[in-house]
Amino acid sequence: MLVVDGPGGGRIAALNDEAEKAGAAIGEPLADARAKAGFLQVRPAESEADTAALHRLALWATRYTPTVAPWGEQDGADGFFLDITGAAHLFGGEEKLLGDLHDRLSAFGLPSRLAIAETPGAAWALTRFHREPHKIIGADTELFALSALPIKALRLSPETATALQRLGFKRVGALCEAPRAPLAARFETELLRRLDQALGRMAEPLAPIVPPPVYYSLRYLLEPIGAQEAVVSVAKRLMQDLVYALTRDGVGARALRLSLYRVNGLVSQIEIALTRPTRDVAHVGKLIDLKLERLPDMLESDFGFETLGLAVTLAERMEPAQAEIAAFAGDDDPECTAALIDRLRQRLGPRSVRRLAPVESHIPERAEVMTAAACTAPAWPQPDDTQMRPLLLLPRAEPADVTALVPEGPPQRFRWRGVTYAVSGAQGPERIAGEWWRTQTEVPTRDYYVVESDAGHRFWIYREGLYDRETTSPRWFVHGLFG
Amino acid sequence: MVVEELRRLLPRLETIATETRALAFGLPELDRALPQGGLAFGALHEIAPQDARDLPCAFGFAAAILTRLPRTAPVFFVFASRNLRFSGRPHGHGLNALGLDPARVILIETDHDKQSLWAMEETLHAGVPATVVGIIDKELDLKVSQRLHLAAAASGRLLLLLRPAGAIAASAAMTRWRLRAARAACDRFGLITHACWHVTLERCRNGRPNDWLVEFDHAAHRFSLATQLADHPLPHRTNTQGARRAG
Repeated sequence: MLVVDGPGGGRIAALNDEAEKAGAAIGEPLADARAKAGFLQVRPAESEADTAALHRLALWATRYTPTVAPWGEQDGADGFFLDITGAAHLFGGEEKLLGDLHDRLSAFGLPSRLAIAETPGAAWALTRFHREPHKIIGADTELFALSALPIKALRLSPETATALQRLGFKRVGALCEAPRAPLAARFETELLRRLDQALGRMAEPLAPIVPPPVYYSLRYLLEPIGAQEAVVSVAKRLMQDLVYALTRDGVGARALRLSLYRVNGLVSQIEIALTRPTRDVAHVGKLIDLKLERLPDMLESDFGFETLGLAVTLAERMEPAQAEIAAFAGDDDPECTAALIDRLRQRLGPRSVRRLAPVESHIPERAEVMTAAACTAPAWPQPDDTQMRPLLLLPRAEPADVTALVPEGPPQRFRWRGVTYAVSGAQGPERIAGEWWRTQTEVPTRDYYVVESDAGHRFWIYREGLYDRETTSPRWFVHGLFG
Repeated sequence: MVVEELRRLLPRLETIATETRALAFGLPELDRALPQGGLAFGALHEIAPQDARDLPCAFGFAAAILTRLPRTAPVFFVFASRNLRFSGRPHGHGLNALGLDPARVILIETDHDKQSLWAMEETLHAGVPATVVGIIDKELDLKVSQRLHLAAAASGRLLLLLRPAGAIAASAAMTRWRLRAARAACDRFGLITHACWHVTLERCRNGRPNDWLVEFDHAAHRFSLATQLADHPLPHRTNTQGARRAG
């Protein structure tokens, strides 16, 4: 028996068959149940863990169809809808699908009540209130199937249900026969909306657990697989299945999701992003291979994968391939570069391959950013010969001990990282003022010098703070190294 | 007799795949020392600093070589991020100032050298018209360098490898250069005009190892020999009253 805290002590949230036989009921105060049967075991209900478990199960259920919507709070939050439009034939019909689902859930140790109907509302009502644990009803028979069920089967709020009971409505059938106008006046929209949804007079959109992809292909395996090569080879076949649809629509995949369904009901998902839209089976296979290499523990499992699904989560227009021209272009093939960048990113991480892009800022550390390496390169301005910039910029400026002849002059000697350098020449200063419009606090002005040691090493050094105006003891920093 | 004949053929066999194309420095003294008249394409070339502080010079020399390539050819810098934590990261404006358009550059950051080596090989095998510059921190053994050299040979591209200071291990590289900082060239106002390096060709198959004092003109992308030993001091353009300590 599971219990949640409520006003006036604990209330029963869930119970098993034994407890039900003993006379306990959901919603009853815990004290009453204890009085009826003192031997019942009581545990606190963990609603978050329940939600997480339902989420996992719903994810697993995407092996049947990509559109799976777990029930929300008002639906009872203890099941999910599968939109099996166009999916049943894969299993040899609706009965077979329902049987398969039941068998697998039983294998996980989960009792199930299943129903197939034209509308989510009707299916929900049948799973909850129909005598048979598995029920399939045909199109346009909702009214007949539902009329004998209690009005709670319409997913009504407790207040509405109680009010209807008081008015004498017990069965859905009675409600359907009653004139609509008084009901509409008495119960606002909820009652009629629920009724219409159940009977298919009003559409009920589902909120799927993962957005249903445009292109999707799925394979059920006779024997579970676990080896990396096997997974890659199945994934390639899945991609091959998708290529036809992608070619027909003139698009290529920019993002893919490979779902791996384990025998024990867990689902692993691999997301793959591409630099350019692609329909290349070998390329996608290679990317999945590299990704799996980075995730060795994903494959380490006692259970293999019994089903694999590949979805195109983002498709983009793709220019028709111009094979002949590409063959001649040879030396400058953006396709080739994009494919390489994809492979590097799968193995090294999404932020590993980048370009440098200039930013309009005088502050050196802000003057460039790293951008994802797309195929279009950022345009850089012509170099300004009056401003010397170091080849290597330190991640952050490092303090240096500087001896200068005059506080506002260039350094004469400096000590940095434990080595003393005698300065044989200095060029500067280049004065860079802080970007006062960015920050609230005063940012000291920097005077940058290019200094050369007597051995010929050149450093980019700055003095922070204008002597006398901003500070009396300016500090020095090494910010970069010249080649 | 036969042995002599074979010995005569040997250099040609060794370079048979690469002797067609090379990237010339445009400096006859350097190009003459190299059997292909420049840095051979499809080969591994190593650049090592004299000591750790010369790493920026080695990097600068590599960047200067890259400016000699056609303007549109992409360049892949491959390095482990933590290796460059100490020496700083490639700065776009700095590359730009040296004459290498940063728009051509793609940075590939890895977690460690092993990944860097993989990324270099992968890039060469991809058939991308890119020059690869790898920066590694550890000694690499002969086998790994052979792999890299073969990958470069198969791709026909230039592979430059920046090795740490004090690298002496045998390697399959076609050439090995040693870089040491030198005083920069200045104009008559004492302003720095060109970068300047002590360049030593330490090892070169069938070449003539030598050393030079080389200047690089970032505007014209031209190497030249420094006219005098760079011992002209940069004048301090400040008054010379007693030193004061700041900081």
